[in-house]
Amino acid sequence: MQAPIYDLERLREVLLAAPEAASTRAMAIVGSVAIFLVILVLVRHRKLREEYTPIWLVMAVGTVVISVWNDLLRAITRAIGAWTPSSTIFFMGELFLMTICLHYAVRLSSLGRQVKNLAQEVAMLREESGRHPRTPD
Amino acid sequence: MGEQRPLIAGQEGNSPLSRGIIVIPAFEEAPRIGGVLRSIRASGQPEEILVIDDGSGDGTALVAGDAGARVISHPFNLGYGAALQTGYKYALRHGFEYVVQMDADGQHLAGEIPLLREPLLLGQADIVVGSRFIMVSGYEPGFARGLGRLLFHWLGRLAGIHITDPTSGFQALHRRAFELFCGDAFPVDFPDIDVLLLAHRRGLRLREVEVNMASSPRGSSLHSGIMPIYYVYKMMLSLWVSSIEERRAKDAGPDL
Repeated sequence: MQAPIYDLERLREVLLAAPEAASTRAMAIVGSVAIFLVILVLVRHRKLREEYTPIWLVMAVGTVVISVWNDLLRAITRAIGAWTPSSTIFFMGELFLMTICLHYAVRLSSLGRQVKNLAQEVAMLREESGRHPRTPD
Repeated sequence: MGEQRPLIAGQEGNSPLSRGIIVIPAFEEAPRIGGVLRSIRASGQPEEILVIDDGSGDGTALVAGDAGARVISHPFNLGYGAALQTGYKYALRHGFEYVVQMDADGQHLAGEIPLLREPLLLGQADIVVGSRFIMVSGYEPGFARGLGRLLFHWLGRLAGIHITDPTSGFQALHRRAFELFCGDAFPVDFPDIDVLLLAHRRGLRLREVEVNMASSPRGSSLHSGIMPIYYVYKMMLSLWVSSIEERRAKDAGPDL
């Protein structure tokens, strides 16, 4: 049987089965554990508000799990129809960043509203306390 | 109807609307605000005058204070809509019963304030919009913006509002109206037909009166800064949002 010149399915299998380089694996594990620790430290020192911690912790744990358990990454790659584990990582990273951005946009909108209300309040209080420069009585 | 009956604060006691305040949002209007305030005083309006200085750096607040107005100064620039809203909040807090709002650049004529006030005092309307059917001098909206205006004029008609100049800064509002506008739904940049629709949906009565307007001495309206496409987009969005809010209110209604 003559195989077609480009058997894309087989090519994909080859890419998916390609063993991960030991250095890549080591770097991924070290990097993801470092991120996880940094987040823990930030939470502990209350530099990161509780409200923001769940999504970051999920991200950090997910990164560690994926860098240790390589077969899981391959399974996900297969499931979503990607060709290489690295595309899966980029894809998930992008999703994560978009989620974070959207979250910040929502927060910013409500912060903007709060700042406006506060500024109006300050302006009115200043007028009422007569501390405005040369407001006639 | 329009006889000689004294309508205004002159008659105390049983007149339901006796305390009004003229709200003037001002941003960098030091050269003009003094003249505007003097013309209001000279025309003998009974309302108190409140200038909202929206974080100007040119001494607008001092000029306005010297001209005898109450002055509220935003700590920084918040936008035209937010300045108006500060005026509403102030009026609400200090027990005023109606607000007359006008621009600080002299394009609205103090002598025409009674035209806006009268329908309020007669109880015929909750919001009176002064429209520039007649222009003293040319007002030229750009093409796309003109198109946008046309579109929203038409949408407004569909919704049952007959206001030809929804962006007019020359309005009189009953307490019912400015109380509603103290909420967070009020836009911080430029209130437009979205705000009038909101009021209409809450059962407030709108009325338009013809006024003359001098063209702004700066040669452009406050709104010329907004890009036409963004304007159309913003209006579409806020109309959509307010229609959803209305539907929710309706859905929630019978269950209660």
